[in-house]
Amino acid sequence: MSGSKIINKKDIGKLLSQWNEEFVILVPSKEGDTTKMAKWDGKDTGFIDWYRNTVQASKTNFFPPMEEMFSFQKDKEGYHIGLASSDKHKQLIFAIRPCDANALAILDVAFKDGYEDPYYLSRRKDTLLIGLGCINPYDSCFCTSLGSSPFDSTNVDIMFTDIGEEFFIEEVTEAGKELVAKTEGLREASKVDEAKASKVKEASYNKVTRKIDTRDIDKKLLACFENKDYWEKVSAKCISCGICTFLCPTCYCFDINDELVRKQGTRFRSWDSCAFPIYTEMPVENPRLEKWRRVRQKVCHKFEFFPMNFGVVACTGCGRCIRLCGVNWDITQAIESVPAII
Amino acid sequence: MKNNEIQQRLRQEAKTLLEQGQVEYIVGYETGSLKFTTTPLLTKNKDDTDRLIVNPFIVNNLSVYLTEIKGKVGIVAKGCDSRSVVSLIQDNKIAREDIVIMGIPCPGLIDLKKVELLLSKDRDELGNITRDEDRVVITIDGKGRDFPITEVLFDNCLECQIPTPQEYDILLGEPTTPISGNVSKRTNIKELEATPREERWNFWKEEFSRCIRCYACRNVCPACFCQRCFVEESEPQWILPTPKWQDNLIFQVIRNIHVAGRCTDCGECERVCPMNIPLRSLTRKMYEIVDELFQYKAGMDKNALPLLTAYEPTEAEDFIR
Amino acid sequence: MKQELGWEPKLLGFLCRWCSYAGADLAGISRKKYPANIEVIRVPCSGRVDPLFIIKALRLGFDGVLVSGCYPGDCHYQTGNYRARRRMAITKKFLEYIGIEPQRIQASWVSASEGGKFAEVVTAVTKELKEIEHNQLFADEK
Repeated sequence: MSGSKIINKKDIGKLLSQWNEEFVILVPSKEGDTTKMAKWDGKDTGFIDWYRNTVQASKTNFFPPMEEMFSFQKDKEGYHIGLASSDKHKQLIFAIRPCDANALAILDVAFKDGYEDPYYLSRRKDTLLIGLGCINPYDSCFCTSLGSSPFDSTNVDIMFTDIGEEFFIEEVTEAGKELVAKTEGLREASKVDEAKASKVKEASYNKVTRKIDTRDIDKKLLACFENKDYWEKVSAKCISCGICTFLCPTCYCFDINDELVRKQGTRFRSWDSCAFPIYTEMPVENPRLEKWRRVRQKVCHKFEFFPMNFGVVACTGCGRCIRLCGVNWDITQAIESVPAII
Repeated sequence: MKNNEIQQRLRQEAKTLLEQGQVEYIVGYETGSLKFTTTPLLTKNKDDTDRLIVNPFIVNNLSVYLTEIKGKVGIVAKGCDSRSVVSLIQDNKIAREDIVIMGIPCPGLIDLKKVELLLSKDRDELGNITRDEDRVVITIDGKGRDFPITEVLFDNCLECQIPTPQEYDILLGEPTTPISGNVSKRTNIKELEATPREERWNFWKEEFSRCIRCYACRNVCPACFCQRCFVEESEPQWILPTPKWQDNLIFQVIRNIHVAGRCTDCGECERVCPMNIPLRSLTRKMYEIVDELFQYKAGMDKNALPLLTAYEPTEAEDFIR
Repeated sequence: MKQELGWEPKLLGFLCRWCSYAGADLAGISRKKYPANIEVIRVPCSGRVDPLFIIKALRLGFDGVLVSGCYPGDCHYQTGNYRARRRMAITKKFLEYIGIEPQRIQASWVSASEGGKFAEVVTAVTKELKEIEHNQLFADEK
């Protein structure tokens, strides 16, 4: 492969500083006792040692848990609308995992469908994604069952591979090529480096042992849509909290609320979850009052409706919903136990 | 009795309960899909009882399912869980005769987050975790490391004074004694109380800035049984569903007041929090306040009135003018 | 933080309809002097006061909240004030623990005949509130 580059891990700080002149850089960060992609402080590259994947997916950086849409107020002259200030800057996410980058591609579809969501899309447009392949996937990961892999570079601009002391760097998109071209301090990759990289990738691929069979899954789910017994059994232990949906990199439901203080108001949108009994209750009532209907919605949206509408499964196998669930509800078990079509 | 003996007996008892039609459901634990993890097992099928397990990772407070299940239930309950069951009986959410409590004298459960911190490894990178009385051996890459068990037990287990269920139909194993002389690691009530007021407030402000309002703390809590939570009211809208730190904090404060006298310090809210907010530093404090003011511990007496509906004509009122 | 000159605390009072509200009325009729810092919400019973009202009032910027009802034994509904007392006891301790000044959460028993006591309570509470900061607890829009 021509054009691949190499950088020593020790020089990552220098590399990020260089990029920092043009971009705001987000790196895996610890916040309190949890992790997410947050603004780089200009020094710390310790994440290289501890980072496997962040608790909050990069979705948070484009579609935050809450955001101000606009403000409004009333005075003698009438109503005034103030648009939320959007800080226009180019940003670069460093070390995004393939599953989370793929998830952004899925969100792109959702946020462009019919209505173009300005909040999400403007952030997305000005962002470069630098992927970092996984050498140590979690036991909850199952990306290889969804046409991806720990080194899938489909939806990143530049892909990094950990080959020990160094990172192996591949340009993926035009924007990625441009950035690499003007970046100093990279050396050309040799055949030996390439061989090392392929070896690492293969080893890592084999570390993902959790598997699901997604062949005809949309058809299978369609066939068992009315199978109440199945869904009741599958959903029995779910406690209807929002962990799996909120931390899912592809879930995008939101709720809109006004905060009114005297004559001043702000309209916020914030994450919502189909797991909640009061979801979409605003107009009339939630048609999915029973828990099994809500669990069915979650599974079917990802594996049936989304593929039917957009041709892609809305799950990237990041495993967060399994890893972070308080009762160990496991979507792979649900998918694997969907009855075969008779 | 060793865990596997308890487990054998549990499977037998549970099977018998279903076979004889004494219960319709069994609620227990089975092996989970991730390393070390266990998961709730809710079943009507007597063959499933062979999957029931008892080990140091049976974390869930299963009584949370009782208000949801219609029909008689045989439930596996540790000390704190059994008190949650009693608390639900006190609140008339369930009837005693509909529940068969299979009590487990609890020697304390292993907190995988503490293990991870102790060894700087994630749980799926560890080999084995074996408890032997007051020691625990954890293997990584084939090498075992030995720690006092108190290093890895949950804070609420370290401070638990009533590890054996008081209310039960079947007690699996001999009563156990509390673990003594231990200080919790994460729950920082004493430290907080020693800091100035502004710092305490700022501490909670920081912590609740992370909250994403997934409501896992509320939904995992057996004492949070309201059909409709006050945060979901829209008229009046007490707080916004938007996760602003102010509203997050109010949500948690009011939740704590609502579960005062119902919270049995099972620690589930803190365990499930994906944002790692030290919720037990709130719930445990409320547990202590209730005990100090009214000498009341949740779930000790199924015939007692719930804390906040009862009163004594003469009660401390030094704060009232 | 230095207090602005002429700053006056805002106090929200939840007064029971049978005793304290009548007491406040009597204070007015008897021309007792007390600070005009209190805004009053009449409630059927002190037992009606949900701790949520208290923290919501603080969230809305009130500097203090006063819950006032009938003396023990005098509740029009027999037990409402006893229940209020338990609830207030845990609420006050808990809110202090998380870092709210104790002065902001106040309670009193004022009977219908105690116009004088009502004036004294409001005077004393207002004075205490002036000694602490203006309520900025929830002001930080981070």
